Amino acid sequence: MTLTTDGVSLGYGDETVLDDVSIGVDSGEVLTVVGPSGTGKTTLLRLLSMFRRPNAGTVAWHGTDVWRLSDEERLAVRRQISMVFQEPSLFNAPVARNVLYGRRVRHSWRERVRRRVRNAVGDHSMTEAAHTALETVGLLDKRDRNALSLSGGEAQRVAFARALAVDPEIMLLDEPSSNLDPRNTAVLEEAILRAKARGVGVVVATHDMNQAERISDRIAFVYDGRVVESGPPERIFDDPRDQRTKRFVAGDLLYEVDDENALPTSASESPS
Amino acid sequence: MFFQLQLQLPDGGWTYVVSIILISLEVSLTAVGLSTLFSLPIALFVGFTDFPGKHIVTAVINTGMGFPSVVVGLLVLMLLSNSGPLGTFDRAFTPQAMIASQFVLATPVIMSVSLSAVESVEQSVRDAAFAMGGTDLDVGIVVIKEARYGIVTAVLAGFGRAISEVGSILIVGGNIVFSDGQSYTRTLTTAITVEARQGRYEVGLVLGTILLVLVLGVNWLGSWIRSKGRGERSA
Repeated sequence: MTLTTDGVSLGYGDETVLDDVSIGVDSGEVLTVVGPSGTGKTTLLRLLSMFRRPNAGTVAWHGTDVWRLSDEERLAVRRQISMVFQEPSLFNAPVARNVLYGRRVRHSWRERVRRRVRNAVGDHSMTEAAHTALETVGLLDKRDRNALSLSGGEAQRVAFARALAVDPEIMLLDEPSSNLDPRNTAVLEEAILRAKARGVGVVVATHDMNQAERISDRIAFVYDGRVVESGPPERIFDDPRDQRTKRFVAGDLLYEVDDENALPTSASESPS
Repeated sequence: MFFQLQLQLPDGGWTYVVSIILISLEVSLTAVGLSTLFSLPIALFVGFTDFPGKHIVTAVINTGMGFPSVVVGLLVLMLLSNSGPLGTFDRAFTPQAMIASQFVLATPVIMSVSLSAVESVEQSVRDAAFAMGGTDLDVGIVVIKEARYGIVTAVLAGFGRAISEVGSILIVGGNIVFSDGQSYTRTLTTAITVEARQGRYEVGLVLGTILLVLVLGVNWLGSWIRSKGRGERSA
């Protein structure tokens, strides 16, 4: 496995958000982390992206515990991983500069200044990777637009292109289509599958089971900060072994709640 | 009116006017430049870091915006006067003393508005920079870039406070003009007080107009920079 967690736990104060979670993703596969809202999916992705160190357990890159590496070595690992958030979080700059950001920070300072000067004198050529990334999400024609002037769907596609343009080994996508219309969702899913075909390992956190069925090679169902069940999509959908997975697949268990008795019994009764 | 102005001006005529404009700009621009270099790293540090007493530090910075300028002038003069702790440098009643007092007055303004701009950059933008492989320095640069229009506003506000200052620079500068009419520590604002006191209102008005044009010009520049970079978010 390229990127794995082994028994990781994380809490804030007395609250445990993740408890003994072990998952892994390999190059060229899509692992979907599904579960009700508020169950720890985003926290898990942030651990994989090394925003935080787990309280217990290990996050490993090709078998090496990333938190035993030096800062410089860990930075090199981080640069093999990119992440897309639920909100696009684009910079107030042209689309092309947003997409090139990840590549820019990988350059030496001398190279950055040299490119900045070239840019100032009118050389706006993009790298092949950035060009391909924007083409993948169908927004090559928007490269000179200010990123903040895009629609929500376009902005999320640019965020995906920004993450793809660094040629990552692993991409982490946190609810990437939760605010998108069906057309933009379809474009994004197509882009995920094209990235997978290029050998990129993708971890997608979502509560959309239909999306999980469409794009996953494996599914991990997370509930209450634990991985309850994992396996190929056909088994999770057709033969779920855990009662909670069954209820989630059936559309009953959409929200994480403290009181088991208060669980909504159907999607129509779930809190808004 | 301009013809009359030349007749009624002290020795030096237009040279006098030009010299006070230049002194005003030299003192204000230097003070604001130094203040920006001092304030920005502190605003970034306070904006970036959580530490005990952060609210108190922020409150102190904000309170500084209301410093009475004559009190600042008095304190700076006490520091620089012959009997003061910095008296050996012999800087009282010099442009450097005026720069020092304008620095003290402009710094809380620049720091406070910059801090507000830095804090307004969403955490998600910082997270995106980090998640794309940025170092702490890269994330800091992203924050400065995202806050750049707010920082420009901070610098302009500081310049506005400095160039329109009267009380403190009158105290620490002494409003000195050489016998050939060249200004040493007389600025547009302190010159206006002199002209008003001597009943030469029309001269005061001309100097006031020049001051207003300078301030308006700088503010127009700021508005232009902000409008140039403002992105419009559609649906």
